[in-house]
Amino acid sequence: MSDVSVGNGVVVDCAGVSRTYQEDAVPVHALRGVDFQFARGDFVSLSGPSGSGKSTLLNLIGGLDRADAGTIAVDGVAVNALSESELSDLRLHKIGFVFQSYNLIPVLSAQENVEFIMQLQGVAPGERAERAVESLASLGIGELAHRRPGELSGGQQQRVAIARAIVTHPVLLLADEPSANLDSGTTEELLKLLRRLNDDRGISILTATHDPMVMGYAKRRVVLRDGAIVEDSAN
Amino acid sequence: MPIKLLFQMSVRNILRHRRRNGMMLAAVVVAVAAVVMMNSLIRGMQQDMADAAVENLVGHVKVLAPGYRDDPGIQKNFELASDWRPPDGVAEVAGWAMRVRVPAVIMSERGTRGIQFVGVNPRQEGISFLSSARMAGESLKDASDGRIIIGQALAEQLETGLGRRLVIITQGADGLNREAGFRIAGLYDADGEGMEKFFVFTGVDALQKMVGAAVFTELSIRLHQEPALFALKEILVELFTGLEVLDWRELEPQAAAMFIFADAAVLIWFFVMMGALVFGLVNTLVTSVMERIRELGMLRAVGMRPRSVVAQVVIESSVLMLIGVAVGIALGLAGIFAMGDGLDLSLWSEGVESFGMRTLLRPVPLFDDVLLIALLSLGLGVVASLYPAWRAIKIKPLEALRR
Repeated sequence: MSDVSVGNGVVVDCAGVSRTYQEDAVPVHALRGVDFQFARGDFVSLSGPSGSGKSTLLNLIGGLDRADAGTIAVDGVAVNALSESELSDLRLHKIGFVFQSYNLIPVLSAQENVEFIMQLQGVAPGERAERAVESLASLGIGELAHRRPGELSGGQQQRVAIARAIVTHPVLLLADEPSANLDSGTTEELLKLLRRLNDDRGISILTATHDPMVMGYAKRRVVLRDGAIVEDSAN
Repeated sequence: MPIKLLFQMSVRNILRHRRRNGMMLAAVVVAVAAVVMMNSLIRGMQQDMADAAVENLVGHVKVLAPGYRDDPGIQKNFELASDWRPPDGVAEVAGWAMRVRVPAVIMSERGTRGIQFVGVNPRQEGISFLSSARMAGESLKDASDGRIIIGQALAEQLETGLGRRLVIITQGADGLNREAGFRIAGLYDADGEGMEKFFVFTGVDALQKMVGAAVFTELSIRLHQEPALFALKEILVELFTGLEVLDWRELEPQAAAMFIFADAAVLIWFFVMMGALVFGLVNTLVTSVMERIRELGMLRAVGMRPRSVVAQVVIESSVLMLIGVAVGIALGLAGIFAMGDGLDLSLWSEGVESFGMRTLLRPVPLFDDVLLIALLSLGLGVVASLYPAWRAIKIKPLEALRR
C-alpha cells in the first residue's frame, strides 16, 4: 500500500473526488470534485436527498468503489492506488462496516459472526472468543451470543453488526443508513450506542443517512446535493 | 482464511437448503453406487473372460513347436521328459500340463465331425477346464488310459453315448493316416457348447502310441498370479530355445482385446454417469451462489479475499461429493453383497459364450477401482465448482450489497 502525507489527526482525506456512473448510456455525475477531510475521533453524518452522492462518497472511502478523479487517503493510505487484494486488506484491517440490512451471515451465530472478521485477520481462537464475547456484552446483547441472525430482532441484528464492525478496533466505522430498517425507539438506542462508542472509545464514525435523528446524534453534519458538499457544520 | 471456518460455513450452507442439496446428494449416491456395482460386474466379466481363456487348455504361458499355430499337427512337436517340471525358483506356478493335440475326425454310426484330439495326463489337468467340468460316466484314470471323454454336445451330434465305441482318424508322425477305435468313458459338460463339440480327450500315452511318436505338441503352464507371467516367460524362452513361448494374450487375442476393453469400459461407464451428474452439481452450486449474492458481497466488503470465496464454493461442492461418494460406495458394496454368487445369464447363454464368458456373472469389486471412483468423483466435484466459484468472485461487493 502506498502512503500519502496527511496530518496525524486526519483519518480520511478526499481531494477533488469525482465519480460518474453510466445509466442507460447517460452519464450520471454522482460526485463532482469533492474535497472532504475527516478527523480522528469525529462522528460525521453525510446527508442529502437521494442521488446527492452521500452513499457514493461513503463507498469510495470504504474502498468498495473507485473514483474517476481525485485522491482518497484512509489513515494515510492512498486508496486509489490499491489493487483488489490490497483493498480487501484495507477494509479488513482499518475499516468497520455497518450496513443498512445488517448483512450478517445467516448460518453463523451472533458470536461466530463477530469472530468471523477476526478469523479473517488471523487472530488466535482464544483471544477471538474473548473479544467477541466482550464486544457483544458491551453492546448489551451478550446473552444472545449463540443465536443465529434469524432468531434476532432488527435492532439486535444491527447491534451484532456493530459489534462485528468494532471488535477489530478499526480506525474508521462506516455506517450506511444504519437506521433504515429500525423503528424510532430502536434507532434512538442504536444512536446512543454509536455516540457512546465515539465518546468513550474515540471510534471515528462516518454515516450516510436520510434520518434527521441520526444527523442529530453526529458531532458534525455534511450535506451533499448534486454530487457536491453544500453544507459542512458542527452540531 | 482458516479452512476450519470455511468448512464450517460450507457445511451449514449445505444444511441451509436441505431439500435441494438432499436431492443432489441422492443423485450423487445413486450414481456412485451404480458405478461401483457396474464396475464390479465389468471386472467380474473381465476376470471371467481371462479365466475362461486361460482354462481353455491355454494356461498363462504355452510352449509350442514353431509353426504349430499356423499348421497344427503332430509333425510340429517337441520332445520333453515325461517327468519334466519347471525349474526351481520359478514362483507362482499353479501347475503344468504336457499334451499332444492334433486335428482329427471322429465317427460314430450316425455321424462324422472334425475335432481336436487331445492326449492328456489327467493328473496334470487341474489347470484346465477339464478338472471342473461336470462329468457323466468316468474321467480318464491316467496318461495311459486308452478310452476317450467327449463333450455332451458332440455326443448329441454323433447320436452316441457312454460306453459306445467311436473311430478317430488322425495323421501319424510319419505322415500316414492312423485310425483307431476308442470307447467313451465319460461325457463332459463344459460352460460353452463350442468346447464340448471341439475337444475330445484321451490319455497322452495312448495318443502318442496312436501317432507313433513319444513327443508333445504343447506345454501349458498356469500361474497363481498373472503378474508373475513375464518373469516365467523369460525363463521359458531361455529354457526352450527354438520353440515358441507365448502367453495367453498372444494365444487368445480376442479375449485379450476384450480384457483391455473392460479396463476402458470401467472409465467410460464412470464418465457417462458422473459426467451427467456434473451438470446437475454445477446448476445446484450456481443457484446456491446466486441466492447468497448479498452475503458473498458482504464477505468481500468486509475483507474476504477472492481466493477465500473460491475456497468456500469449492469446499461446499467437495463436502457434498465426499458425503455422496462415501454413502454411494457403501450402497454399491451393499448391492454387490446382495448379488451373492452372481447374476445368472443362462437365458442369454449363446451370446454370453460368444464373448468367452461363463453364464454366471460374478461381481468382482476391486479396491483400486473403488479408490479411483472416489478420487475421480471428488476431482469432478472440484471441477464442477470452478464455474460457480468464478461467478462468485465476479460479483462486485458494491453491486451485491445493493441487490
